[in-house]
Amino acid sequence: MSDAIDTSGAAADGFEPRITAFVCNWCTYTGADLAGTSRLHMASNVRIIRLPCTGRIDPLFIIKAFERGADGVIVSGCHPADCHYTSGNYHARRRFAVFHDIMEFIGVDPRRMTFSWVSASEGSKWRDVVNEAVTNVRALGPFEAYRALAPKDVGVAAPAGPGAVAAPASAGIKAEAS
Amino acid sequence: MNELHELARTLLTDGTVRVIIGWEDARRGARPAFITDPADTDKLIFDTRCVHNLVTYLNPRRDNVAELGKIGLVVKGCDAKAVAGLLREAQLNRDDIVLIGVRCGGVLEESELAEAVALSAENVAPRCFGCDNREPKLVDHLLGEAQPEPPRPIMTIDERVEALEARPLEERWAFWTEQFSKCVRCYACRQVCPLCVCERCVAEKTRPQWIDSSAHPRGNMSWNITRALHLAGRCVDCGECERFCPVGIPLSLVNRKLQQIVSERYGYTVSDDPENAAPIGDYRLDDKQEFIK
Amino acid sequence: MSRIGVFVCHCGENIARTVDCEAVAEALREHPGVAVAEDYKYMCSDPGQALVKKAIEDNNLTGVVIAACSPHMHEKTFRRACDQAGLNQFMCEMANVREHCSWIHDDRGQATDKAIDITRTIVEKVKHNRPLESIHIPVTKRALVIGGGIAGIQAALDIADGGHEVVLIEKEASIGGHMSQLSETFPTLDCSQCILTPRMVEAYQHPNIKLHTWSEVEKVDGYIGNFEVTIRKKARSVNEDLCNGCGDCQAACPAKRIPSEFEAGLGKRTAIYVPFPQAVPNIPVLDRVNCTLFKGRRKGLAKDVCGKCKEACLKAAIDFDTEDTFVTEAVGAIVVATGFKLYDIGRDQPEGLKGYGEYGYGEVPDVIDGLQFERLASASGPTEGAILRPSDGKEPKTVVFVHCVGSRDPEKGISYCSKICCMYNAKHAMLYKHKVHDGRAIAFYMDIRAGGKGYDEFSRRAIEEDGAEYVRGRVSRIFRDGDVVKVWGYDTLSGEQVVIDADMVVLATAMRPQDGIRELAQKLSVSTDEHGFINEAHPKLRPVETNTAGVFVAGACQAPRDIPEAVAMASATGAKVLGLFSADELEREPAVAVVDENTCIGCMRCELVCPYGAIEQREICTVDGHVCGHVAYVNPGVCQGCGTCQAVCLSKSVELQTFTDEQIFSEINALCYWE
Repeated sequence: MSDAIDTSGAAADGFEPRITAFVCNWCTYTGADLAGTSRLHMASNVRIIRLPCTGRIDPLFIIKAFERGADGVIVSGCHPADCHYTSGNYHARRRFAVFHDIMEFIGVDPRRMTFSWVSASEGSKWRDVVNEAVTNVRALGPFEAYRALAPKDVGVAAPAGPGAVAAPASAGIKAEAS
Repeated sequence: MNELHELARTLLTDGTVRVIIGWEDARRGARPAFITDPADTDKLIFDTRCVHNLVTYLNPRRDNVAELGKIGLVVKGCDAKAVAGLLREAQLNRDDIVLIGVRCGGVLEESELAEAVALSAENVAPRCFGCDNREPKLVDHLLGEAQPEPPRPIMTIDERVEALEARPLEERWAFWTEQFSKCVRCYACRQVCPLCVCERCVAEKTRPQWIDSSAHPRGNMSWNITRALHLAGRCVDCGECERFCPVGIPLSLVNRKLQQIVSERYGYTVSDDPENAAPIGDYRLDDKQEFIK
Repeated sequence: MSRIGVFVCHCGENIARTVDCEAVAEALREHPGVAVAEDYKYMCSDPGQALVKKAIEDNNLTGVVIAACSPHMHEKTFRRACDQAGLNQFMCEMANVREHCSWIHDDRGQATDKAIDITRTIVEKVKHNRPLESIHIPVTKRALVIGGGIAGIQAALDIADGGHEVVLIEKEASIGGHMSQLSETFPTLDCSQCILTPRMVEAYQHPNIKLHTWSEVEKVDGYIGNFEVTIRKKARSVNEDLCNGCGDCQAACPAKRIPSEFEAGLGKRTAIYVPFPQAVPNIPVLDRVNCTLFKGRRKGLAKDVCGKCKEACLKAAIDFDTEDTFVTEAVGAIVVATGFKLYDIGRDQPEGLKGYGEYGYGEVPDVIDGLQFERLASASGPTEGAILRPSDGKEPKTVVFVHCVGSRDPEKGISYCSKICCMYNAKHAMLYKHKVHDGRAIAFYMDIRAGGKGYDEFSRRAIEEDGAEYVRGRVSRIFRDGDVVKVWGYDTLSGEQVVIDADMVVLATAMRPQDGIRELAQKLSVSTDEHGFINEAHPKLRPVETNTAGVFVAGACQAPRDIPEAVAMASATGAKVLGLFSADELEREPAVAVVDENTCIGCMRCELVCPYGAIEQREICTVDGHVCGHVAYVNPGVCQGCGTCQAVCLSKSVELQTFTDEQIFSEINALCYWE
């Protein structure tokens, strides 16, 4: 995949998907660091949330991301046998499998949920995972179906126009001033 | 029936247990019964109306039941699986209960009938078809005669799951959002579930609140997905959640799908053997991972 | 009310080239809860850090977010700076706007917006950070060494010399391990016993070393710094305090035809025996399986049929009625040095191994393994060092050495190289030629692997100076043909089949981990590889540590090792243990899971998934003290902070500090800016 980001595939309305990535600290986060150090350019739609291990990732995180307007998610960690904590990814794999299958049963397009193993040395794989997820979700369009579940009294300020991804967070964030 | 009455009487008289939890006949059909007096044991019944999973009363946090003293519990095959689930999760001591197993050839969909009727394709609880535990093994006493296989319902749950899966994603989404939008968040499904035994359900957790508590489609979706995930590899398919749901959400379809997932992926079937480790919390190095890039 | 400081680093041009750092600071200044937001050219420089510290003091900040490089790069740097400025270090987090943003994007607008997002997310996380204190764990400054071979002895001596008590346990009657069986050692041909025996005696007499022979690990409880190990002292039938090692009992024992383990079956021993004359301790054990008296007892005879050893013992040290006893030792660190065994190709094969029936081992008496050859060559061996073949005691004139029997043969079940065989085969060929000048030593090899100081020179010497004949190829069959042992092989260099009428064949069988290693590994909560060798924590950077903190590994139980490597590993574990013992308390990061006892129902799903065995069931009591239930408890000394327990907890009653649900929830909320 080339370094240049192909934005020609963007939908006519200029939709740019928002994707939340849940990644483990030891493999994928470090792999994403390596992608940076290697200057591997990729789509800018993905926001990473760092966790110690895929074992820490609760399927509720993914539901929450969809609830909050994510169009897609990426879940990524150490390859089998490489887990920093020996077996966290094996336990995660079972939970993700059940989650993946049940979400598909309920009618969520599995292409909105990318699961991958990306090691600390796979910067280029991370780039490919990111770009592929962005391309897939871009083609699927905004996850309006999930957003439509929201209570009607909540503002439905669906981002629009090119650069929606880059829309300043102030467009919607209801930050807790705790 | 006599052997059930006699056994119950003996257990109560000799002090083995302080209460027998079983079923009795009442004005509106079969209902759970708590027998503490040996003289009352003749009230106990077991027939096709005895659909209730009484294991829900073993929840260690049901103080009013615990106060009655040591329990003798009448269990069908599916109920025994729920007992195994509680033992597996350290919620019970095996020595603290006496299990009276009854051989079961299936139950009705409905308990509220004045008299037990024979099972037919029209009235059988669909989940009973294909039951693999008509003779519970996790018991101290086993009563009744060997029962025939329950009749095949007009449409089996597997067929319904299959039919739903044959529909495109959008239609499935539309189906489930419609079903879940009916949810009033009464949590009857949770209260009646023999395995939902948490002190504080995740649905009631604040700081942070993961699941919207008011009954709107978004919160309902998270609640129902969460309920499903929490029962993966644990659900014993007793059907109580669906039976109690006041708005008629077809939860048995979700439950059956979960069973299919753990069976296809991990070769796991929920059984009444407490030593049989649950699939979530366990793993194999070569677990299927075709969905992972 | 949070008062968070945001510090945006330009990283020279690394970030500023694609991210408008001023705009990021500007945007964050408006963000709720942010008290101050600044940008600077190099935040990690001294002036940059000073800026952060000053801002903390001036604004009384409750949290700090550094928008800069990866936390893997400078998290420690900035946490230390915060700590110095009086802000709890765990209130500081990094927003990765370099590796994850400026370096991977071109469009300045998009990159700047993404950097703002990333920084906001971390600000939202920090709002829920809590000040945490490091965890202090007391350390018991005593070590347990499992295995009394050269690796175990070396580890024990190094730790003991460092001033700490060591409990050394050995399952055999004597320490010394396989090294005590060897005749000479490569590449120097110095006598194995001569260099080992002084070490054995030193270990035995060391005031800091407590030795348990004829003992095994029964149970291991606890965790780093605080292990409690139960040791099974197998019934020896000889009182170790009374026995003076005179040997009268052995002389009196009528059962004299028992194959000696030490002599690899080539010599005999009595039922009450010390394995070899230099044994340490020089105290016999009674082999109850072969003892006449115990055979009688097992048959149910009313009266004991023997007892000659007891009659002969002037110290009255022999007691036929002793039983296994258990001792408990409190230690802070454990070194596993259980060594290897040879691939026993003549016997029933464990699962997955196919064996080498075609080599006739166990059927043809003159087909022996490497350790048996060591005993033949040893001056203290059954032939007093004369090379005589087992079948008829004649001097063999043609000896075939077969490399890689079992090793490097995935078809047969072992894929790895046993590493030492090339060298000891060369040594055997040499020793043979030194003793039988007119003999032929023929070696079948796959490759000669002689990496090591002086190793290649040594193996070349066997060929060039001592005239060993090396044939590159495999042996297909070995069988007895009258007086000779026929060896069918193939010379891959000439492409010809080779048939040799040998007088004796020596098989270089693979090194395998000791029996019982998997059970021991389970007791220690360490993992093993597919072959049963103990897994090190990291193959390059943590070669003597295991995944269980406080448990170290030395020698051939980790992988095939030669003596210098085993000794080097042992000394490395010594250094690790002494390092651990250098402070009274162990300080650990507080990134551990904590259980909420109010809501935990003790279903113990967390215990099932914990990779470290850090979770246990704990009883809880009512105010008046009676037990009313149980909950899960996470031992902070063992927890490594993966958070898998939290993800499987149904009621969300366990929380990983530093990655709490609230923190992650806030991040998700901040990221998906909608609603």
